[in-house]
Amino acid sequence: MQDKEINFDCKVDFDGNLVTSKETKTSKKTPKKINDKKKKQNNKTAMLEWKKDGWKAVISLAPALLILLVFTFYPIVRTFIISFFPHYNYLDDSFGAFGVDSFTRVLSDPLFWRAMANTAIMVLVSVPLSIIIALLITVLLNSIKRLQGFFQVIFFLPYVTNGIAFGLVFATIFSPMDYGLINTLIHFFGGKSIAWTGTAETIPYWAGIFVITIYSIWNGLAFKILVFLSGLQGIDKQYYQAAQIDSTPKWRVFTKITVPLLSPMILYITITSLIGAFKSYSSIVALFGESMGNSQDRTFITAVGYIYRYFNDVTSGGSVTMLSRASAAALILFVFIMIITFVQMWANSKKVHY
Amino acid sequence: MEVKLVNLTKIFSKKEGDVCAVDHINITIPNGKLVGLLGPSGCGKSTTLYMIAGLHRPSDGQIFFGETEVSKYPPEKRGIGLVFQNYALYPHLTVKENIMFPLENKKMPKKEALEKAQKYAALVGIENLMDRKPGQLSGGQQQRVAIARALVKEPEVLLLDEPLSNLDARLRLQTREEIKRIQKNTGVTTIFVTHDQEEAMSISDEIVVMNFGVVHQIGKPQDVYNEPIDMFVAKFLGTPPINILPAKVVNSKIKLFDDEFKEDVKIDFVEGQELNIGIRPEFVQIDENGKYEIHVEMVEYIGRDKSILFHFKGQESTCKAIVPSNLMVEPDSDIKINFNRFFLFDKEGKRLV
Amino acid sequence: MAKVNEDLYFASDEQAKRYEAIRKIKLFFIYFALSIAALFTLVPFYWMLATSFKTLEEVQHVPATFFPVQPTIDNYMNVFNGSNSILIRYIGNTILVGVLTTILTVVTTILAAFAFSRLEFKGKDLIFSLLLATMMVPGEMMIMTNFTTVAQLNWLDSYQALIVPFGASVFYIFFLRQNFKQIPDELYYAAKVDGNSDFKYLFKVMIPIARPAIITVTILSMIGSWNAYIWPRTVSQGREMKLVTDGLMTLFQSDTGGETSHIMMAATTVVSLPLLIAFVCFKKYIMRGVARSGIKG
Repeated sequence: MQDKEINFDCKVDFDGNLVTSKETKTSKKTPKKINDKKKKQNNKTAMLEWKKDGWKAVISLAPALLILLVFTFYPIVRTFIISFFPHYNYLDDSFGAFGVDSFTRVLSDPLFWRAMANTAIMVLVSVPLSIIIALLITVLLNSIKRLQGFFQVIFFLPYVTNGIAFGLVFATIFSPMDYGLINTLIHFFGGKSIAWTGTAETIPYWAGIFVITIYSIWNGLAFKILVFLSGLQGIDKQYYQAAQIDSTPKWRVFTKITVPLLSPMILYITITSLIGAFKSYSSIVALFGESMGNSQDRTFITAVGYIYRYFNDVTSGGSVTMLSRASAAALILFVFIMIITFVQMWANSKKVHY
Repeated sequence: MEVKLVNLTKIFSKKEGDVCAVDHINITIPNGKLVGLLGPSGCGKSTTLYMIAGLHRPSDGQIFFGETEVSKYPPEKRGIGLVFQNYALYPHLTVKENIMFPLENKKMPKKEALEKAQKYAALVGIENLMDRKPGQLSGGQQQRVAIARALVKEPEVLLLDEPLSNLDARLRLQTREEIKRIQKNTGVTTIFVTHDQEEAMSISDEIVVMNFGVVHQIGKPQDVYNEPIDMFVAKFLGTPPINILPAKVVNSKIKLFDDEFKEDVKIDFVEGQELNIGIRPEFVQIDENGKYEIHVEMVEYIGRDKSILFHFKGQESTCKAIVPSNLMVEPDSDIKINFNRFFLFDKEGKRLV
Repeated sequence: MAKVNEDLYFASDEQAKRYEAIRKIKLFFIYFALSIAALFTLVPFYWMLATSFKTLEEVQHVPATFFPVQPTIDNYMNVFNGSNSILIRYIGNTILVGVLTTILTVVTTILAAFAFSRLEFKGKDLIFSLLLATMMVPGEMMIMTNFTTVAQLNWLDSYQALIVPFGASVFYIFFLRQNFKQIPDELYYAAKVDGNSDFKYLFKVMIPIARPAIITVTILSMIGSWNAYIWPRTVSQGREMKLVTDGLMTLFQSDTGGETSHIMMAATTVVSLPLLIAFVCFKKYIMRGVARSGIKG
């Protein structure tokens, strides 16, 4: 019951029109003593409240917080620390001297910059391409009535597939052998086989990137189309009627009404795709093996791939001190993702009044 | 511009069968007038408005703007301004951009468009809100922006769909005066749709009362109120609503309940015909020598007037009367009354003169 | 409301005819483009199925055959009975881990979301902002230490190691809290007036109202478990405890060349089927759920 009263008080408070009990108390110049007494009482009930909700909060938060504490907060802090101790040895948990060596090693590692270059290409090619294709398909899909649901289901199918499994399927389609589906098509048009996938050193860089792009478009369309479509369908039809009455040309309707009203979804999809590009790993492993390309060059390594390259060294009993370097790389990845997230927050805040 | 609807009909095909939303209506809206389409929800008034706008295609009949038949014109060719019920302001554009939007479609030079936008913003009184976004405006302000956006094209006809329904009671009174003023200033032929009879009566030059897709009556608000053509119109206009009393012709005389209806009626009746007598609350006069005995159940003070809830002696059903508040009436007392006017309707609701 | 084409306008019959013709051509191109896109989406599924029914000779035949000439189910027999039958165990592992992870996640998420949306306690805002901040942190930052933690707990090659670390998710807590927050306070007051406890209110009112959101969490968590790769790979190094994704990789990764690609495709078909069947059964829920998480997240 106490609960209820206090909450109602708040409500009146926020409405503003009515004078709240709190205000009357302070506005009336009651002797100080009484005021203090009341305050105390208030505090007491507040304390009781807190205690009452307190144990409930402990019970309800404990399971989640316990797991998160052990498997989220603690590792974040620890990884952060380890990255600054380049000689950290995970076997005997000895830290060694503090230093930024791990960072300088990562930043001067050509493999790291290869990973960055690959990520940059994905960010610049497959992210915009897949967003534009998804937007196009969505607009087409939204303009039809018949079979709309059917097409929607088909476009959604890749979402419910296993990333590794279909990476392997794509590796089969883009098999470097003469009997691969794509190579068969190339032969049909009179071309020569191309080593699309696998771990051979002969894979042309552009071919590998092409397969990665195709696979990431195929894999990402489902979610993008779904989000765009529900965004489009959420736009009030009256905007379009109003535009029609004002004889708005079609392209202007699209650029001035549809795209701006869809911009929160476009922003959201752009951000998630960017982060996805930074974190892509398993699809590339499925296409080019654990080494992400031939084992010397690791041609198609990604940011996350770079982290695991050193981490795997550790878990498979290789160099035990590589954990610090992997941690440093993870921290750098975190900085990138943080920057993207802040850009999103900033862009979102510009849209507040909408 | 005069707007003329001839045999206008709209049939919606639905799974359950065809629904006739508007049934061969004929209305002429004089140039420069403010006309309200009035009726309960589902009466076809909005469909009619959307047909005038061109958003619905008529199943039959014609629409004339002046001499031109526009029935087959798409909405953008009709030269109309439409204010949507929820305003449909573009949320990502500022007030200024919203108002200028229709002009930019016509490729009007920026400077000229801006001047026009400012002119109409000033007309509706939002010239100091030009750089805000719709989300930062109150309902009443959004309404004005919507009107400015509709007017900026200088349309021949302005259409308003339930213009006041999204406003709170206080704003509604204020905005309805505002609409009247803007309409008078611009002289644009204006048609608006409403289910609120008070709203329609207070600002319209003429009202069109509709129900079930049929026009019941067209006329000046006061005329329609004073001389309703049928029982639906009589019932729909006026608060508190009119009292309808069942009566019957017995021995060439009208019997109200068990008593005789003691008024002069100069119409020939068929023996046994069933009738309805309509008494507006203000038609009731308290009179010591009145012809009818009533029992007062409740008395309510509503400012200048008093509202009385009563029933006729020996009857169950209650009626309402409005009398000046200086008259002494006690609840739970018996008094006598007269009627200074009454309407007579036949069984189907048609007014008998 | 009226159908769209009921409300079109034409000044003349010719215009109407022209419009109709243009509309039909446009519609044709729209359907054509959509069909191409659909084909692009479906080809991998088809190729997976087609290859899985081919014999070794046919797989290696140049040029590749589009339809299996002599369809065989030997590849499936290999997956179920033959040298790759351990995959069935992996599928079982994955289902078990997926279900248990999801149950744990849903329970912890509901309770935590309830605390953050309905209860008042000290440090609520602080804890919540800390949680939100971790959403930015990529999982790669945690996996290394988590590996050491799990090793120290002696959990390597165990189900706990696969389940517990994913038993709570900040994103789901945030997502469900947003849903809980939308439930009007009046319902809470009403329940209080009727003398219901907070937990009873949670079970009788909040959970039923937020059911769609909880279904979304369930679906996303299941799909997440099914697709997990790096973590299971790291903590399950023995042969018995692998999950499907890692299992597929270890069984077939050395080989994209083709000697076993017919068996590999049979295996991927078997691995893909459970999720696809689940999708067919709960199509509406899954699509709505994913869309919801996308829009609110």
